[in-house]
Amino acid sequence: MRTDSLMIQGIFFYIFSLIAIISAIMVTVSRNTVHSVFFLILDFVSISCLFIMSGAEFLGMIMLIVYVGAVAVLFLFVVMMLNVAQQENEWFQSKKSKEQNSSHIPIGFLISIIIFFELIIVIGGWKLKPEIFNNLDFKPIVGATNTHSIGSVLYTDYIHLFQISGMILLVSMIGAIVLTYKKRVGLKRQSYIKQISREKLSGVEIVEVEKNKGVKIDV
Amino acid sequence: MENINLVAPEIFISLSLMSLLILGVFKENSSSVVYNLSIFTLFLSLLINLNLFSFNNLYLFNGAYKVDYLSNFMKFLIIVSGIFVMLSSSKYLKINKIFKIEYPILLLSSILGMFIMISSNDLMVFYLGLELQSLALYVLASFKRDDQLSSESGLKYFVLSALSSGLLLYGCSLIYGFSGSTNFDQISNNISGVQYGLTLGIVFILVGLAFKISAVPFHMWAPDVYQGSPTSVTIFFAILPKIAALSVFIRFLYVPFINLVDQWQTIIIFVSIASMVFGAVAAIGQKNLKRLMAYSSISHMGFALAGLSVGTNEGIQSSIIYISIYLMMNLAFFSCLFMLKRNDIYYEDLSDLSGLSKNHPILSLCLLISLFSLAGIPPLAGFFAKFYIFLAVIKEEMYFLAIVGLLSTVIAAFYYLRVIKTIYFDNQTEKFDINHDIGLKISLLVSTLIILIYFIYPSPLQTLISKIVIL
Repeated sequence: MRTDSLMIQGIFFYIFSLIAIISAIMVTVSRNTVHSVFFLILDFVSISCLFIMSGAEFLGMIMLIVYVGAVAVLFLFVVMMLNVAQQENEWFQSKKSKEQNSSHIPIGFLISIIIFFELIIVIGGWKLKPEIFNNLDFKPIVGATNTHSIGSVLYTDYIHLFQISGMILLVSMIGAIVLTYKKRVGLKRQSYIKQISREKLSGVEIVEVEKNKGVKIDV
Repeated sequence: MENINLVAPEIFISLSLMSLLILGVFKENSSSVVYNLSIFTLFLSLLINLNLFSFNNLYLFNGAYKVDYLSNFMKFLIIVSGIFVMLSSSKYLKINKIFKIEYPILLLSSILGMFIMISSNDLMVFYLGLELQSLALYVLASFKRDDQLSSESGLKYFVLSALSSGLLLYGCSLIYGFSGSTNFDQISNNISGVQYGLTLGIVFILVGLAFKISAVPFHMWAPDVYQGSPTSVTIFFAILPKIAALSVFIRFLYVPFINLVDQWQTIIIFVSIASMVFGAVAAIGQKNLKRLMAYSSISHMGFALAGLSVGTNEGIQSSIIYISIYLMMNLAFFSCLFMLKRNDIYYEDLSDLSGLSKNHPILSLCLLISLFSLAGIPPLAGFFAKFYIFLAVIKEEMYFLAIVGLLSTVIAAFYYLRVIKTIYFDNQTEKFDINHDIGLKISLLVSTLIILIYFIYPSPLQTLISKIVIL
């Protein structure tokens, strides 16, 4: 029974990881920028599935909401608005045009190797201090979900931080509006009050039109 | 149940800024109502703050928030300077067509952020307060959005400040990792001996803080931002964030890391010396008065840090006295700058001051007093500010720091005196307008009188500050 569930978990883990890795590669490889963004979304979704599988359901859901729901959609809008969908991909054309040899590949390769080794160093040198749990201010609740545990401290012990974050969001909203909103003059706007309060009598006007003369409609 | 009364100023300011926002959105043409109500809000919060003045060493929110003499006094300074800044700049805003409802609201939210910074006893609270404060300042710097310089200064400040925030957060994470807590008191309990991770964390956080008070070598943004942003924002930049950041400096260095004093003392001494010397030397060639004041403030921050580097209570107290007097001197100088207006255009170059004394003797006298005080000439308040710093420094036998400070004062005196020479001995130019509003006159009068009279009656400020004992 236990080995069965472990095996099923393993199968799912490998499926999601495979999808994540393949879509991550496809983000860089695909020629159409819109496709890249779609692969990015697929990548985010599969990674959030991995998070949920490993018990971090809050992180997975946040990943879905924030990255897929907001960031990736924003990317998609930007890509579509900039109209760079069919941009030629330089990465794999360095052989065709020797003169404009793309220097992306060696540098990118170097940086990814450096990051890889940094990760190895970090994970290799990482050790959990056993006494750190004694110094923590709060005790983890046994048997509760992630969301429950976060909520139980976020709205009690850290309520002031939560409120201050709200103020920061308010300020950023005000700032964005102040810096970008322009009241345009000479623009015909819809006035819904006027539209609703229109009546049958004022809507139709019967005019005696003189022959060979126009009618002035605009009031 | 926590004692919520202790955070009454913060709660009051946040509630009133939200209701002012609603008022401004739903009532058309309510800019001046919102502006005046914001000043009134600050005034009421001053009263609330004075009411809390007798509380000391009280903690809130599991020790993350601290109310003591330091926080009360620094909040008092913030509110007073906020009131004067808003009083003096309303006409400038109207003439420059940036008198919008959002302006006072952003000022209030920035002040709220500073309050949180000042009272924070926890790395997370401190960071959130800092972000709240700076986010409002980014917008304020580029508030005159049709102006190229203003947009540039906002963008520059935003990018560099975001970078420094990143470094600061990295430092926070290192300190949390090595000490197991974000609370300042807990950190000081948990650390034992010198750990390189902790030292690294302190360095990163000091970088972020030094950026906020524009100390060398993290000063690059200051001249451009001071010059580019509207003068009403420049005066805000020159005074309020420095008060907040200085009190965080005190709390951060003296509560959790007082045992690592050998580790951070050298850094602070270096930053202090570099700021004093650089601020004095670089200001010599400046033609723009706002730019000049940027370098002058860099130099002054060097002095304030010199007081902090000592590591004793006298050092802290001298720094606090320094920042309070610095506030008044800057207020006086910028109020004079607001008066250099001719036909709805504000002038801010050194050459515009030429021969000012013949046309405007009183304004010139005020400028003379504030500049002499900035240069540190007795018996004005600026002299005493520097005097206390040097006293504290020499008491700990840090002679090198004192000598460099004295030398840089001499260098700095040159450019202050050059401004005075331009005012009194150069050729006369056209007259400036004299119809200033009452708020500007009040703030100039009060700040100049305080500078002038401080030496007769220094005891109220000193007794207030002598109560602030951290160690």
